[in-house]
Amino acid sequence: MTVSTNTQDGQRAISFKEVGRAERGKRSDEVVLAISPAFATLFSKTIVDLPHAEVIRQVLAGIEEQEVTARIIRLQHSADLALMAHTAAKLSGSGIGIGILARGTAMIHQRDLPRLSSLELFPQSPLLTLETYRSIGSNAAQYAKGESPEPVPTLNDQMARPRWQAKAALLHLKETELVRKGAPTVEVVPEFSAASV
Amino acid sequence: MTAEAIQNPKAGDGVRHSLRTQVLENRPVNLDGFVEEWPEVGMVAMDSPFDPQPSVRVENGVIVEMDGVERADFDFIDQFIADKAISAEVAEQAMALSAQDIARMLVDPAVTRQEVIAVTNGLTPAKLLAVAKNLNIVEIMMGMQKMRARRTPANQGHCTSARDNPLQVACDAAEASIRGFSEVETTLGVVRYAPLVAMAQQIGSQVGTGGPLTQCALEEATELDLGMRGITGYAETISVYGTEPVFVDGDDTPWSKAFLAGAYASRGIKMRFTSGTGSEVQMGNAQGKSMLYLEIRCILIAKGAGVQGLQNGSISCIGVPGAVPAGIRAVAAENLIASSVDLECASGNDQSFSHSPMRRTARLMPQMMPGTDFVCSGYSTMPNYDDMFAGSNLDSDDYDDFNTIQRDLQIDGGLRHVKESEILAVRTRAAQALQAVFRYLDLPPITDAEIDTAVYADGSKELIPRDVLEDLKGAQQVMDRNVTGLDLVKALEATGFSDVAENLLAVLRQRVSGDLLQTSAILTKDLQPLSAVNDANDYAGPGTGYRPSGARWEEMKKLRHVTSASNPEVEVE
Repeated sequence: MTVSTNTQDGQRAISFKEVGRAERGKRSDEVVLAISPAFATLFSKTIVDLPHAEVIRQVLAGIEEQEVTARIIRLQHSADLALMAHTAAKLSGSGIGIGILARGTAMIHQRDLPRLSSLELFPQSPLLTLETYRSIGSNAAQYAKGESPEPVPTLNDQMARPRWQAKAALLHLKETELVRKGAPTVEVVPEFSAASV
Repeated sequence: MTAEAIQNPKAGDGVRHSLRTQVLENRPVNLDGFVEEWPEVGMVAMDSPFDPQPSVRVENGVIVEMDGVERADFDFIDQFIADKAISAEVAEQAMALSAQDIARMLVDPAVTRQEVIAVTNGLTPAKLLAVAKNLNIVEIMMGMQKMRARRTPANQGHCTSARDNPLQVACDAAEASIRGFSEVETTLGVVRYAPLVAMAQQIGSQVGTGGPLTQCALEEATELDLGMRGITGYAETISVYGTEPVFVDGDDTPWSKAFLAGAYASRGIKMRFTSGTGSEVQMGNAQGKSMLYLEIRCILIAKGAGVQGLQNGSISCIGVPGAVPAGIRAVAAENLIASSVDLECASGNDQSFSHSPMRRTARLMPQMMPGTDFVCSGYSTMPNYDDMFAGSNLDSDDYDDFNTIQRDLQIDGGLRHVKESEILAVRTRAAQALQAVFRYLDLPPITDAEIDTAVYADGSKELIPRDVLEDLKGAQQVMDRNVTGLDLVKALEATGFSDVAENLLAVLRQRVSGDLLQTSAILTKDLQPLSAVNDANDYAGPGTGYRPSGARWEEMKKLRHVTSASNPEVEVE
């Protein structure tokens, strides 16, 4: 592994530059990652303070280590995770897409599946670690290659509700405020910079 | 990983803190989440400036204006409530009373339950909210004491397994029964396991004293199928919501839910709806209304659909009202309003709520002190890690605390302390009955070693793993061969478990008489229906109503360790 999952060794900031409308990819060895309206814009970290920069680095590293390429799109008209991941899958040359909300909730989807029936869903955002995000990237890439990876193991904590449920609702509401009806889905490229701490 | 492992963000902020601050920072309550109110999106418990003002106008026997909205502008929830839940005959008269006067009627022991209901029959959602806003937490409890439909309080348990192990569920259902639960419910990690686990719960619950009704929370069509077959005895997870977009997201309307309710009633199966504060804001569609206002709309949808009862008290969204000011007061108020419109109320306390034992208890008291139809709508009868409803406010670790609180305050939460030898006996009998039924129905075998482990286990971690793939095939067989509750009775009778067979048959026969369709119906230990019809709440102030007494009070005095008065060197047996 070349990308560390330790966030302490370099506080990076991330922003995304629009490079045009999101198009259907032609490469069969790609995974498309969809990010939500507030991802690395209004918010800079997940519900448990994982920097968005690190989340993206890990997902991309997970895809890369399977020798698969990645593209990133941003949805502006919705913060519905299933729609995001399904849109990514439909634009992906391999038919495999990932969706990630600003608070961290994630999903791996496939083009041919019904929208509400994903390949893997990671509903409990507070329990997702950087390792999880790396595995999500890796699994998505393996699906893209036609393999059948073991689903990414997820943690379960029934006490996540009392601690995080209301904050998750707030983050969702804030993210939803950024939704612009009819705004197009755009392709973006990440720009990392060392944060001025 | 548990939430405790998540570092408190305040810890490393480079500022010098007092040792006391550090002690307080490390208290469990500070692992809970709290948020500021945000009324514009409905992140507010019961007092939003965007809640409507109460109003009603009736023309030609039809409600043509409700809470400031003209009939032409009703959404489908308004329309359903105006046409099905509110009596147009009494609405204008009832609405003419001030909210404060109605609130006083709820608390005043000289006003009977029936007199209150005669008024609530004509109240709109905004008026019921205004009534609730007049009540502090003690007054809410006073109201609940009188407005609970059934005189005798009861309790409901969860019986689930992190491994969906049917044997564990059978043993825990039997223990739940002897400990006093009147209903037990299960759900699954792997949904395909449902037939076997629901069967196990149905059989286990009828071992020993028998009587508890069972349900299995599943997708609605499967849940109905299991109910019609008699593999379960009631249904509860029929969710309703307080705003139209959230309803529509679930491909539902109040009418479709009412139709489903009718399907259960047609087979004599008890059912209730489920709703709770916080669900609409959680789903981002609260339309700026307070959580309690929206929940009152749900309560009136349940009433309008003609179902006998409602599970509410925030339920799976408890982290949302729990995070805002006065949220737990609002949760207690939603229970009271359900009871005040003459519905059975299964009053929550069924989801992991707080890291703080003090807060967990405080959240329980507004239901446990006055008593409700079901104080918990899901007390985890196994350790919380096995609770597939995502954990409960109370679990099997809390049994002795719960029994002690009942004894301390002389309040009836429906449970009792039982000697270990009796518990082991019913767990063994349940496990053997399930083993015999599986063998009789040619389902995957249960070994004696599995039984021995399950009888003495605390949770699924200690169990011998089942062959899951074989079990899932067996579960499919149960569905394909159309196994019914009567087949379970036959299997129990044929394998020497006549007593269990008789209990189960008595439960199934209830759907013919329809007695369990009455409000707040449960079965007693003698398998007699007990409902608001033959056990109507008659509280009328001090010295009246239900008070633990006689044999029940003697039973409540028993705890695990009580020093004998006649010989202080020993403990009471």
